[in-house]
Amino acid sequence: MSTPDTVFSIYGATLNRRSFLVASGSLVVALGMKPAASNTVAAPTNSLDATQPSSWIEIHADNTLVIRTGKCDFGQSSIYTAYRQIVAEELDVPVEAITTVISGDTDRTPDGGGTFGLLRTNVMNLRKAAAYTREAALELAARNLGVPRTQLKIANGVIAGGGKSVTYGALVAGESLQLTIPVRGNLTDFGGLQVAGDPPLKPTSSYTVVGQPIKNPSLRPKMSGEALWVNDVKLPGMLHARVVHPATLGSTLVSAGKVDKSQFPNTQVVVIGNLVGVLAPDEWEVILAAQVVGANTKWSEWKGLPGHRNLLEHLQSKVDWNEIPAAKGAQAGDAVAASAKASKTHSGTYFVPYHKHAPISPTVSLADVKPNGSVTLHTHSQNPQFLRMAIAKMLGRPETDVVIRTYPGASHFGRSNGGNAGSEDEAVLLSRAVGKPVRVQWMRPDDMQWSTQSSASMSKIRISLDEKGKIQTYQADHSGPPMQDDRPIGALLAGLPTIEAPGPNNASRLHSTTMNVADRWVYTEVPNVAEAGHGTYQIGQRESAIGVGLRDHSMRTPIQFQQNFPREAAISEAAALAGADPIQFRIDHTKEERFKTILARLREESGWQTRPSPAPSAGAKESKILRGQGASIMLRDNGYWACACHVAVTPETGEVRVERLTIVVDPGIVVNPLQLKRQVQAGSLMGVSQALHEEVMFDEGAITSTHWGTYPILTMAEMPEVKVVIAGRPEFGVYGQGSESANALAAPAIVAAFFDATGRPARRIPLRPEYVKSVLAS
Amino acid sequence: MSMLKVNGTEHDVRSSPDTPLLYVLRNELGIMTPKFGCGMAQCGACSVLLDGAEMRACITPVAAAEGKEVTTVEGLPARWAKQRNLSAQTAQDTLHPVQEAWVEEQVPQCGICQFGMMIKVTELLEANPKPTDADIKAALTTSGPSPHLCRCASYAAILDGVHHAARLMAKGAK
Ligand code: FES
Ligand code: FES
Repeated sequence: MSTPDTVFSIYGATLNRRSFLVASGSLVVALGMKPAASNTVAAPTNSLDATQPSSWIEIHADNTLVIRTGKCDFGQSSIYTAYRQIVAEELDVPVEAITTVISGDTDRTPDGGGTFGLLRTNVMNLRKAAAYTREAALELAARNLGVPRTQLKIANGVIAGGGKSVTYGALVAGESLQLTIPVRGNLTDFGGLQVAGDPPLKPTSSYTVVGQPIKNPSLRPKMSGEALWVNDVKLPGMLHARVVHPATLGSTLVSAGKVDKSQFPNTQVVVIGNLVGVLAPDEWEVILAAQVVGANTKWSEWKGLPGHRNLLEHLQSKVDWNEIPAAKGAQAGDAVAASAKASKTHSGTYFVPYHKHAPISPTVSLADVKPNGSVTLHTHSQNPQFLRMAIAKMLGRPETDVVIRTYPGASHFGRSNGGNAGSEDEAVLLSRAVGKPVRVQWMRPDDMQWSTQSSASMSKIRISLDEKGKIQTYQADHSGPPMQDDRPIGALLAGLPTIEAPGPNNASRLHSTTMNVADRWVYTEVPNVAEAGHGTYQIGQRESAIGVGLRDHSMRTPIQFQQNFPREAAISEAAALAGADPIQFRIDHTKEERFKTILARLREESGWQTRPSPAPSAGAKESKILRGQGASIMLRDNGYWACACHVAVTPETGEVRVERLTIVVDPGIVVNPLQLKRQVQAGSLMGVSQALHEEVMFDEGAITSTHWGTYPILTMAEMPEVKVVIAGRPEFGVYGQGSESANALAAPAIVAAFFDATGRPARRIPLRPEYVKSVLAS
Repeated sequence: MSMLKVNGTEHDVRSSPDTPLLYVLRNELGIMTPKFGCGMAQCGACSVLLDGAEMRACITPVAAAEGKEVTTVEGLPARWAKQRNLSAQTAQDTLHPVQEAWVEEQVPQCGICQFGMMIKVTELLEANPKPTDADIKAALTTSGPSPHLCRCASYAAILDGVHHAARLMAKGAK
């Protein structure tokens, strides 16, 4: 093979050309060296199939393009819609020209990193790669056409100027071009590789493709039945497996159950430490056999959890909050001194329980471990490169031995943004043990009991008002367990190496026990503010004989959900104390013009009655149904959000119905209004589900929410009328995020509406009948 | 060995008669749109039509399906073509109006629940071509052994999707 010649360098990117002619031709955008350490190649070269360049962008002679990203789709559609739009925009090609999106697979994508903040930081890799490519194409066209670069413009995939023109395809025809761009970071770290340097980005004011309501092309093959989901992958000669998980979150194995060979002729039981696997070629045989094995497997007894009914009391009086140093949030003035002079004070303790990600289809993975130690893992992960690191660490093998292939699967809302969601490592260990490919499917109770959860949180809020009803001080203390445990459960059960549990000295900031204040402060008119976060260890983890306990993991807007809920619920109560309308009260306490604008819009769009809470009808004894309105706001990732909920409370039954939900979003630039609308509708309804129904139940040893009967979620009949108002402000030049933010808005608006309807504050979720009746009786 | 008719084709089935239909479809016949969700008739991810009526494949022994016609999402286009006397080629080239509506209205988020949703909605629209919002909510909540659950909470999009499908079917009926 000939060595490539350097054609030119531009903005830190280098274009190389192989000196032989090829039949079709292409330009690929490849990994560069790390600028700081130019001797080290950023990615281990053998992590990537050399015959398939792991380029971000590939341009073909027929004017089609391929893009590659380490991020995956979890139903947001962003990698198939927004990412294509943003790349098309930078290159000035039609979005349809990007015919292929390759995502996730560790041997076929360039950058790794987690699937979160898709439009915040992660899109910058492809956006910059596209910008480098455009600049290189302009330079190349200038040379080929003999026209000065400054005279060239690109439109619709055609580079033209000085009376001449060339398409991207024609530019690469017959050539083998490689554009090497600078990167930093490490491929298998949590955040993966980032494209470095500062190529000129197209001014957002001249956008034409971004903003179009393009459809998600991955939906047709999914709905036709053609798409291969992770659930559907079959490997030749594979065994089906079920795992018999321990009796509690702290039990060790006493003795594994046996199978009766006359009943289950082809079943085998594999025990690795505390990991008990049951395997057979037939899936139904293994399901029945695992039930029998489970019934006669003995585990040690363990009691190390407070039980969900005692959780708030446990957080209030049993946890030593001085073990972990407190973190500070927003600070202004002198809150302690000012609150002493207040004319009126609202104070309350708010509580968010543990929530489950609860994918509709429980997690499933397939692994094939070869005798030479190489591992191929087929799964559905939001951070495949980080999972690859975790599997290699567990096995004590080099990362180059591990390939992760990803597929569509059930959304699980952040549970695997640190690689694993459960089952991946178990499939690997069982495959290694039996020398065959193994498919581990978790059953519904496995998924409810052995996955991580979104952690519980307690907040003490104190708001003091002056005699005019203006907020003088805002004090918040948010306390709770951490939010990011990325230790795979099978490795823990087998007693094999993992990354560390969340702790105060964890080198990774994300895996710390420090409770950061994630909720962005928005009431900038308030003169005295003191927010603090108080962290602790995961509940039961240190006491558990297997280091498990209640493992936690980020869900949608991790920590911000837990902190925005108490803040917004308390602001609504403070508005009542001030005798002010809750929307006007919010407008009056922020300097942010973008909030004032969307709040005014919310008032119009939601049919809001401007008046203080509670409603005049609140507490009317003769009323069978009490109605109320409530509002909430949030700032996340440059997205400004406002929500109003209208609820109906039936005091006799304790039932709360959300009748209408109105949400106004200003995400700055709206990348795709169609996809944004669908994400916001769905994300906000999932928030209604959390507010009305969801709480992980557990006793002293185990999670007792094991299925949809004991972890109910919103049904279609309960869905309110949903109105989504997209009020973009493109002049701010940034993209805000989609559904994850929408998810947090409903809960505080619903409890505010409950307060408006009944005159009684509900300071925790979910608003289940038992709790509602107790609030109304108090 | 039992005989199973799925999407118009007859199959000899080797699985034991107590095996739930779901595993026979997926593992023996390679028909993959019915998904495993709960295995307890709680979610609707595994729904198929049995002689036109929606049922949960995860708890139905394959023996109970013998002699009946099973339809999965893979078989919806042919079902529609047969109902409307369209050519076999049309059945191959087009989706059922419910599938088409799901794509046009961009109904799914992750999509894993939507096979069961489309099965249930097909059952609904075959009986009630112009359902109200209340009819749709009842069909997907109270009419079966459990509500059809969507964790992504795509319910607003599903409502749009059903009305759109009803319009497409009405057009196709002319
Ligand atoms: S998998 Fe059959 S109803 Fe849930
Ligand atoms: S679309 Fe994800 S579960 Fe319904």
